[in-house]
Amino acid sequence: MTSLVAAFHHRSGRALLAPLLLLAMVAVLVVAPLLKILVATLSPEGLAAWNTVLASPLSMNLWWKPLGTTLILGVGVAFGCLLMGGFLAWLVILTDLPGRKFIGVLSTLPFMIPSFATALAWGTLFRNSRLGGSAGFFEVNGISIPDWLAWGLAPTLIVLIAHYYSLAYTIIAAALSSVGADLIESAHMAGASRKRIFVGIILPVVTPALVSAASLTFAGAVANFAAPALLGLPVRMQTLSTRLFGMIETGQNERGFVLALLLIIVAASFLWASDRLVSGRRAFTTVTGKGGRTKRFGLGPWRWPLAILAVAIGIGTTILPVIVLAASSLAPQSGALFSNWNLHFWLGEAGGQIAQGQAGIFRNPVLIEAMWNTMRLGLTVALLTVAMGLLLAHTIVKRKGTLIANLLSQLCFTPLLVPSIAFAAAYIALFGAPLGPLPSLYGTFTLLVIAAAAHNLPFAVQSGRSVLGQISNDLEEAARLTGAGALRRMAVIVFPLAIRGVLAGAILVFVKMVRDLSLVVLLFSATSPVLSMVAYRYASEGFMQFANAITLLILVICLAAALLSQALQARVQKWKQP
Amino acid sequence: MRFTSSRTLKAGIAAAALAAGLAGTSLADSANLDQFSAEELLPLALKEGSVTVFSLSSRIAKVEAAFEKAYPGIDMIGVDLSSVKQIARVTAEQDAGVYAVDVLYMADTPVAFKELYQAGRVHNYVPPRIAAELDAKFQAPLLQHRLSTKVLMYNEAAYPNGAPISNLWQLTTPDWEGRVLMVDPMQRGELLDLLTEIALHPDEMAAAYEKQFGKKIEVDSDLNGAGEQYIRDLFANDLILVSNSDALNKAVGDKTLKEAPVAFGTYSDRRDNEEEGWALQIANDVEPANGILFPAVLAIADKAPHPAAARLAIDFMFGDDSANGGAAFAPFNVPGDYATRKSIADDPDSVPLDRLKAWTIDPEKTAAARGRIADLIITLQ
Repeated sequence: MTSLVAAFHHRSGRALLAPLLLLAMVAVLVVAPLLKILVATLSPEGLAAWNTVLASPLSMNLWWKPLGTTLILGVGVAFGCLLMGGFLAWLVILTDLPGRKFIGVLSTLPFMIPSFATALAWGTLFRNSRLGGSAGFFEVNGISIPDWLAWGLAPTLIVLIAHYYSLAYTIIAAALSSVGADLIESAHMAGASRKRIFVGIILPVVTPALVSAASLTFAGAVANFAAPALLGLPVRMQTLSTRLFGMIETGQNERGFVLALLLIIVAASFLWASDRLVSGRRAFTTVTGKGGRTKRFGLGPWRWPLAILAVAIGIGTTILPVIVLAASSLAPQSGALFSNWNLHFWLGEAGGQIAQGQAGIFRNPVLIEAMWNTMRLGLTVALLTVAMGLLLAHTIVKRKGTLIANLLSQLCFTPLLVPSIAFAAAYIALFGAPLGPLPSLYGTFTLLVIAAAAHNLPFAVQSGRSVLGQISNDLEEAARLTGAGALRRMAVIVFPLAIRGVLAGAILVFVKMVRDLSLVVLLFSATSPVLSMVAYRYASEGFMQFANAITLLILVICLAAALLSQALQARVQKWKQP
Repeated sequence: MRFTSSRTLKAGIAAAALAAGLAGTSLADSANLDQFSAEELLPLALKEGSVTVFSLSSRIAKVEAAFEKAYPGIDMIGVDLSSVKQIARVTAEQDAGVYAVDVLYMADTPVAFKELYQAGRVHNYVPPRIAAELDAKFQAPLLQHRLSTKVLMYNEAAYPNGAPISNLWQLTTPDWEGRVLMVDPMQRGELLDLLTEIALHPDEMAAAYEKQFGKKIEVDSDLNGAGEQYIRDLFANDLILVSNSDALNKAVGDKTLKEAPVAFGTYSDRRDNEEEGWALQIANDVEPANGILFPAVLAIADKAPHPAAARLAIDFMFGDDSANGGAAFAPFNVPGDYATRKSIADDPDSVPLDRLKAWTIDPEKTAAARGRIADLIITLQ
């Protein structure tokens, strides 16, 4: 409370108005649905569910064991992602690595590939005889794979790192690219060693980005369902997310909600602890507007070995899953991925012998419509979310340490951990009925956009934060003195400087939106579908080939968006041109 | 299918207005409507103009095309949603005072029975045209459209002399340790229903035990009956859980396998054998039963905005008088699934319904017993 009062004294009451408005916005978008879920667990059945989950003979298998597995996954994935994503970001942004542009693009891709594809790719290689069916690549070639490497914790951990490290890469690379050249230059001139520059300058400067990346990858791993379900179930490994999904899927909603709330508490306390860990350090503001092009570290003899390593990581985590997806969309038998390829699932005409006479995806009239819907939804949500995220991140960063900033930062993070089905149901409940003068939003595109924006807020806020944290107050201060209003300062100073982080966030949101299904499926009432719904329809009818073809299509759209954003960034940050 | 969202919005507003207008008289009306023939419903349905159907199957798109061809002027809006999502959405909508859906086509009947039917969120309706052709058990509490299966499946290429299993208890013996698969019953309701049904037949399970092992069964003190003991023994014998039926079918069905495992799966997946290179076959002669038959039900949502069109749609989905039910039923007429309507013939390649050794679940009884079995399974995982 003292910090709030301090903030009050420090600035005028009017300056506090904006953050309070933001707080109100977040309250409506995030807190209200959460409260709705909380209230559902306070009914008699809900209280019984709390009891069952926490203090009954079932607790061990329902909560404690899944919690342990989940935490191992979360911490392991966050750690692995920081190492891999950070290493690659350093190589691409700060060194003279050959082929760094290519590696940079490669490193952003894995997040766009759904984690189930990575898990399937793992199975194609490492699957052993435990499940029956055809063996994986290694067993076929006479290398026997033990259960621990084929199923359970180890493969889940590896697959999740392979999926989420690109999230860490995206965020850390955005922050690294804004490390001013003057800083490194002057350290060089002062005779500091490379190691000292790295530990003394670069590491502290990107710390906010590291924290953001760790938080997001932790939360992503903890909430991921596909990988632990595909790889963990055969050895009865349960995580909180598989438990949670199962509870809701078998009609035990209250227990599912209780698990979701507990999951939020656990993840939030981890986030809070990591925030504490770094907030003891001083914050560094490095972007002062003068920074020129960054001078690159010479890697010397290590150039090529490191380049090969980086490309190998990219191929293992990107190309391989894509090959599996592509092969699946070309192979008529889902069990034999590499035989009898044909293009039926893409271009085939209806009425043939394959796929019960269904036409290929490009002959499906719904598909084109779905593509437009997907783009419209993805773009709208990405723009809205990023705008909200930028405002929020700005407030959080400028008021670092105050109660409001802490509150906002914690709240903006929680939607990541709320199961979409519960989130969507809460939204229908909240906005389905007319609210005062506002009409009912039920079944409208607006409701879908609002809910999706709230659900994706964590990505936008976290990626905005890591970059904004480095922009010096001096610039804004100077603009304020010359009479520039808040909006103008945002548009002319903050936005161009933070463009890379902002775009990184926008891409993440766009990708999530294009790929995600559960939220959309509950809120979209029109029959005109989005791509993920079309993929789901095919998959639910057992046509995995069609579903995978559409997944590839989604990947291409995401890739195009990513390249576009890089071009855009180059245009805005003209001063970085050589 | 070609609805832009703004048109849907308008349709939604119109529907809401209509629902408000009808609210006062809807009870009396719906009682009458239940007796109307399709011909009598048609003019009212035309006035309503559209009908929204939530469907567990994407095949609703084909029904939609057939319906709009049969009844031009009535727009069917088919929305493809899993049963769980239908329940979540209808509950949330009705709590918010939104009445947008007319017909629900769903499985997961034990949950639907408790959360929707008993809560008054949906109502039962039996079209008079086909009432005489349905057994009474298919008419209440909710109208059953067809029956699907979760039964024991084996690989007929690996076991050319017939199913390797003739008694469920064989699956708890060392021969089958780690060689029985199932989609995780805590992830998919139908498998939970299957295990619940086994628990609901303790006497038959006890008799089958004696037949298999030649001695009386001893049931652990914390369990009720031989069925629950079976569940515990099955899990203890390294039952392998997978996350979806695709993984299951590949593991069991691959026709190149020698020592193929067996699995509790879906009979109608056999239709993909040729295309996928599988050899899935049902193990039918199994003591005391090989699994369950469970219904897909059709129900009318409470305060449905298009009550006449909703009834017309349900009537339509039961097909015409031909042996395959015509264009309306054809999308659902797959081998291994069974129509409840007697005039629709079963596929010649499948075991006829009356010879299928599967228990038919009773949604009401399953709903009551399901929670206990779910808790038991959680302790076993």
